[in-house]
Amino acid sequence: MTAFTLTLVVPWAAGIVLVFCDGRRRTIGWLAVAALLGNLAALIVLATTVLGGEPLRATTGDWPAGVGIALRADALGIVFALVSSFALLAATVHEVLHGVAERVFPGLVALLAAALTGVFLTGDLFNFYVFFELAMAAGYILATYGGTRRELGAALVFTAVNLLGTFVFVLSVAGVYHVTGTLDMTQIAARLDTVNPNAAVLIAVGFFIAFGVKLGLFPFHFWLPTVYTGARPAVAAILSGGLANIGAYGLLRFGAELLPRELELAGTALIVVGCVSIVYGSLLAVSRRTAAETLAYSAIGQVGYILVAIGIGGPVGFAAAVAYSIVNALNKTLLFLTVQMRGALVGGAFVVGAFSLAGVPPASGFIGKLEIFRATADEPALLALILLGSALSFVYIFQIYQYDFWRGERAGPVSSRPQQALIAVVALVVLAAGVWPEPLLAFSRDAADVLVGGAR
Amino acid sequence: MKLVFALAASTLFGTGAYLLLNRDLVRVVLGIVLISQGATLTLVASGLTRGRAAIYPLRGQVSDPLSQAMALTAIVIGLAVTALLLVLVLRVALEFQSRRLDEVAEEEAARDARLEAEEAADHASEDEAAR
Repeated sequence: MTAFTLTLVVPWAAGIVLVFCDGRRRTIGWLAVAALLGNLAALIVLATTVLGGEPLRATTGDWPAGVGIALRADALGIVFALVSSFALLAATVHEVLHGVAERVFPGLVALLAAALTGVFLTGDLFNFYVFFELAMAAGYILATYGGTRRELGAALVFTAVNLLGTFVFVLSVAGVYHVTGTLDMTQIAARLDTVNPNAAVLIAVGFFIAFGVKLGLFPFHFWLPTVYTGARPAVAAILSGGLANIGAYGLLRFGAELLPRELELAGTALIVVGCVSIVYGSLLAVSRRTAAETLAYSAIGQVGYILVAIGIGGPVGFAAAVAYSIVNALNKTLLFLTVQMRGALVGGAFVVGAFSLAGVPPASGFIGKLEIFRATADEPALLALILLGSALSFVYIFQIYQYDFWRGERAGPVSSRPQQALIAVVALVVLAAGVWPEPLLAFSRDAADVLVGGAR
Repeated sequence: MKLVFALAASTLFGTGAYLLLNRDLVRVVLGIVLISQGATLTLVASGLTRGRAAIYPLRGQVSDPLSQAMALTAIVIGLAVTALLLVLVLRVALEFQSRRLDEVAEEEAARDARLEAEEAADHASEDEAAR
């Protein structure tokens, strides 16, 4: 219970204090790192009690249930919270080692960690929206980090498009409240079974658009390349490794738990959209020359796999979606962080990330792809398409390796030792999850059990 | 009553969408503000019941306070985000010396074209060296 409170309070309190401090000083940066470490440690303690056991429920401030902010920690939420927290931690350490350029950066990252934890651990629909908006607001400001024309242009696009996404989300929240009369997610799941199917489909479409925008799925992807190439590497890692998880989590939570019938109805459509995302993202990534651009387009392709797995559904599909989301977040964190670095360890770390992205053993991406293959095993056409996507990802990521490391086109000073060591540690995590995949698979199955249990 | 709310919300959305497609960044922000108001109105409309204000002590039938609380929260969040967006537009306007979206995009296109031209030049010199 203490751990539950600490997961939210530590980064939140730290964030509020740090926002008022000058983040360019090293100590402030390290304080933010300490807050993130506290958040991660509390999440791990929480995970040990929740995984394999009963979900925890709590209401803040000892209010009667239904009045205070309802929190709920189950396997699905905790897994996503852990991954996001790790991504934020890695990116922040990277940036602090590099030297923070703007005073608000450490405080905002701590607030973002609090908001993300809140999103993943809330049991109330409206609180989800509040935490969601809090995380996005921190993301909007982080996107301007650096403050040159490129970042400002990217941040403008990011803010405008994602704001529209959240308004669509609010509409769906209003719709859910109107038809069910409650905001508690468990009660919504029970009551949505009996409502008018037309209303439920409309609500589901709203949620899909909101989270599709967040993930950067094919028809809603147009903002993504500008932002991920325009932002600084650490910010791109935070946005793609931390913030984008909201999209995958939202699709799983809202699609599979709250609206399972509508998800089943839209299964084929989701698979088609996912496949278009895979092909579109991979093809455009092949045609790009710089690492940042290739990774940005590859992000569109990678989320396609998650959508395909969700579209297939069932325990196997959902487990695959969770596993792939975890692996994808780790890959993106690692690869975006290496974008502007040089050095002996950087090349090695990039290769690990590249193997993982392309799904080559022993990196963890192989496990993610394997799960997707298992989910799609019954449909040869789909299997072939996913294989094509993997082949293309192999081509584009090694094209970048060739340009940047073999031909030595990457300019700039060699990165400092501690920064290289950090990248190596992240690479080792990606590698370890592939060499010893049992925890990853167990987590994702636990998470999928939550959803399939909710459907009953 | 519901029809009035639906019409008002859809008008706000329509006007907002029209402004959003404008080239002027300030109008884009205004469009987003209007759309956020439309969303807030929908939140209010989601729990539309007749009754007195839900202020303690409660007497007789009260109107649904939850949707009003949600609308209030949404208004506060909308205000904060609008302020953020306006600051962002201000910084873009100062940086690009323009608040028109097409001019901002033009600069980016020009930068990309310059990069590509440099790359092509690099390739040409490499080819010559190879010969």
